[in-house]
Amino acid sequence: MSDDTKPDDSPALHLRALSKSFGKPAVDRLDLTIRAGEFYALLGPNGAGKTTTLRMVAGLLPPDSGSIAIFGRDALRDPIAAKRVTAWLPDEPMLYDKLTPLEYLEFVAGLWGVPPEIAEPRADGLLATLGLADDARSRCEGFSRGMKQKVALAGALIHDPKLLMLDEPLTGLDAQAARLVKDLLRERTRRGCAVILTTHILEVAERLADRIGIIQHGRLVAEGGLADLQAQAGGDGSTLEEVFLRLTGARADRAA
Amino acid sequence: MRPAPATFLWFAAHDLRLARRRVRAFFGSSGPIKIALILGAAILFFHALAFLALDVALEDFDDGRRALYPYVGSAALFILPWIVSQALTNATRALYSRGDLDIVLSSPMPARPVFAARSLAIALESILSVSIFVLPIANALAILADARWLTIYPALAASGLFGTAVGLILMLGLFRLVGPRRTRVVANVLATLIGASFAIGIQAYGIASPATRMAISEWLAGARAGGLLDPDSIVWIPVRAAAGEPGAIALWCGASVALFLAAVLTLGDFFMRGAGAAIGSERREAPARRRLTRFRAGVGAALRRKEWRLVSRDPGLASQILLQIIYTMPISVVLWRAMGPNGSLALATAPALVAVASNVSASLAWLAISSEDAPEFLATAPVSRREIERRKLEAIALPLVVVIALPLAFVWSAGFRAGLVTTAYVAAAALAAALLNLWHPVPGRRGDILRRHSQSKLVAMMEHMLSLLWAVALALTAFGSWSAIVPILCAVFLLWTQRPKAALATA
Repeated sequence: MSDDTKPDDSPALHLRALSKSFGKPAVDRLDLTIRAGEFYALLGPNGAGKTTTLRMVAGLLPPDSGSIAIFGRDALRDPIAAKRVTAWLPDEPMLYDKLTPLEYLEFVAGLWGVPPEIAEPRADGLLATLGLADDARSRCEGFSRGMKQKVALAGALIHDPKLLMLDEPLTGLDAQAARLVKDLLRERTRRGCAVILTTHILEVAERLADRIGIIQHGRLVAEGGLADLQAQAGGDGSTLEEVFLRLTGARADRAA
Repeated sequence: MRPAPATFLWFAAHDLRLARRRVRAFFGSSGPIKIALILGAAILFFHALAFLALDVALEDFDDGRRALYPYVGSAALFILPWIVSQALTNATRALYSRGDLDIVLSSPMPARPVFAARSLAIALESILSVSIFVLPIANALAILADARWLTIYPALAASGLFGTAVGLILMLGLFRLVGPRRTRVVANVLATLIGASFAIGIQAYGIASPATRMAISEWLAGARAGGLLDPDSIVWIPVRAAAGEPGAIALWCGASVALFLAAVLTLGDFFMRGAGAAIGSERREAPARRRLTRFRAGVGAALRRKEWRLVSRDPGLASQILLQIIYTMPISVVLWRAMGPNGSLALATAPALVAVASNVSASLAWLAISSEDAPEFLATAPVSRREIERRKLEAIALPLVVVIALPLAFVWSAGFRAGLVTTAYVAAAALAAALLNLWHPVPGRRGDILRRHSQSKLVAMMEHMLSLLWAVALALTAFGSWSAIVPILCAVFLLWTQRPKAALATA
C-alpha cells in the first residue's frame, strides 16, 4: 500500500458533475461517491458512459468539466498522487506479449515504486493464487485470453491499490477462474480497497456489489443496494435484470 | 462474374483483394486519386530515366542483344534473389501473422486451393515489387533497340513464379529444419541476406585483396569461355528468355510454372500443418530451475529492462538492422577507394557507421516510443509522460551500443582522434534520430517495423536526410575538410525545424 494514502475519511472516489462529450455527451454531469472498502458495480447499456467514466478516473481521458477526487486528492490537479493508489483493468488486457508474467509484474511493480523485496514475493503469491505459477516464465504471447486477463489482474494488484477499477473483468474467464477472481476482489474490499466494476453479467453485480449504480446516457439513473433499486423501479421481488431493464427503459420481453 | 465459392479462383480473388489492400496501405491514408497520381508519376519518372540512360548506353553497343547479356545478367542477379527474399518474407508472414488462416483452417476447404491461391498472391506481390523498375527498362529497350526485349514481361512473370517457389520451399524447409519457434526469425534474416546478396557480393569483391580479386577475375574469364558463365550455358536461360530467344523463353516459363506447380501441389498440406503448428509456437519456456527474474527497484530499471527484453525478443529487428548495415556499407567501400592506396578501411567505415547508428537508433526509438504495446497502461502509471519518454530513450542506448560496439572499436583501431571524432558523430546522429522519433511518433504495431516508414513519409525523409548529413559530415571531417560544418549545421537546422514547438505551430 502506498504511503501517500491519507488515513482519513475521504471517500475512495468522489466524482462531481463530471462531463465528457464526443460530439454528444458521453458522461453528463455525473455525481458518484464510493467509500473505501466498498464494492460498487456500475451497470448500464452499451454506450451508457461506463468505460468513459473509468477512463477519466484512470487519467486516460481529460474530462470537459467536473472534478475527480481519489481519497481526497484532486486527480486532475495531482494525477501522479491519484494514480499511485489506483489500478485500472480494462476489458482488453494490456500486456506485452514478449514478456513473461513474472517480468510483466516486475515492470508494473517498478512503475508503481513497489520495493523489490515486497514486490517479488507478492508477485509469486498472486501468480500462485491465480493459477499461473506454472506459466510464470512463459511469454504471454501464447496465452489464452483468460490467462492474459489473469496476468493483467495480477498486474493491477501487485501494487496493492486502494481503488481498483475493473472493466468487464470476467470476460474470457472460465467458471473456476471467475470464482477465483470474485473471491480475490471480495478479499480486497475486506482489506479496505474500493472496487468499482462494470459488467454485463448482472448476476455478478447482484451477488458481489454492496451498491449498484445504473448509468444511462452518461447520467446515474439509479443507485443503491438491490432492495433500493427494486424500490426505485417500483417492483419488489424483481430480479436485478428486470430492475435494470425497467430503469433503462427497455422492456424485458423486447430485450430477450 | 464472381467465381464459385470455395474454389481456387474464389480464394485467389479473396487473396488478391487482401494483397491490393496491403499495397494500398503502403501509401498510408492517401486516397485512390492521390495513389494513382503517385504511381503515374513514378512510372513516368522511371520510364524517363530508362530512356535517357539507355539512349546514351546503347550507342556503345553495335551488336544489339548479346552485348547486353552481361548487364541483363547482373540485373537478374539482383532481381531473382530479391523475389526469393520477398516470397520468403511474405510466406513467413502468411504463416505466422494468422490473419484469416484460423477461419480458413477451420473451414471444409481443402488445403491445396488455399495454398495455391495464397502462393499466387505472394508471387504477384513479389513481381509487382520489381516491375516498376524493370518494365520501364523493357519498354525502353524495345523502342530503342529491339522489340524482342518485350519478352522481359513474361520472363519477369516466370521469375516471379520461380522465385516464389524457391521462397516457399526455403520457408517450409526452415520450418522442418529449425522448428516453428525459430523459423520466423531465421527466415527474416535469411530473406535479408538473400535480398541483399548481390550488394553483399559486390562489396565483398570491393574490399577483397588484389590477389583475391585477380583470382576471381581469372575464374570469371575461364567460366565465360565455354564454362558456367558462357552465354550458351543453362545459367543464362533467364537472360536469354528476357532477350526474346524463343527456346529460352519457352524453357524458362515452362520450368518456372512447373516448379511453382510442383511446390504448390506438394507443399500445400505441409503448409497447412505448419500453420497449425505455428499457433502454439510462441509459447516459450525459460529454464525451469533457474529463476530468471530478479526484481529491481525504480521506474528507470523497470522501463530499461522491459525495453531490453522486448528488443532482444523482436524477430523483425535483427533482420532490419542487418539490412541497414548491408545497404550502408557501400559508403565504406566507395570512401576506401577514394582514399587511394594509403586509405584505411577502418577510417572509411566511420561514415557508414554513423549512418547505421542513425538508422538503428531511429528503429529502436520507434519501437520504444511509437510501437508501445500498452500505451494506455503506461498512462495509468504514477509516472509523468516526460519521464517515461526520457527513460525509454535511455533504455535504447544499450542495444544501440551492442550493435555498433564492434565496428566502433574497429574505427578506434585507426587512432585515438579518429575514434573520438567518430564516437561523437555516432552519438550526435543517434540522438538526432531518436529525438525525431520522439517528437514525431508514428504509432504502429511492433511487427510492422519493416514497414514503419510507409506510415509517415515526412519522418522517413527526415530520418534519411539526417542520417546522410551526419555521414557526409564525418566523411568530410575524415578528409580534413572544414566544409564538414555545412552538413552539421544543416542537420542541426533540420532537427530544429522539427522540434515539438514548430511541429505544434504547423499542425
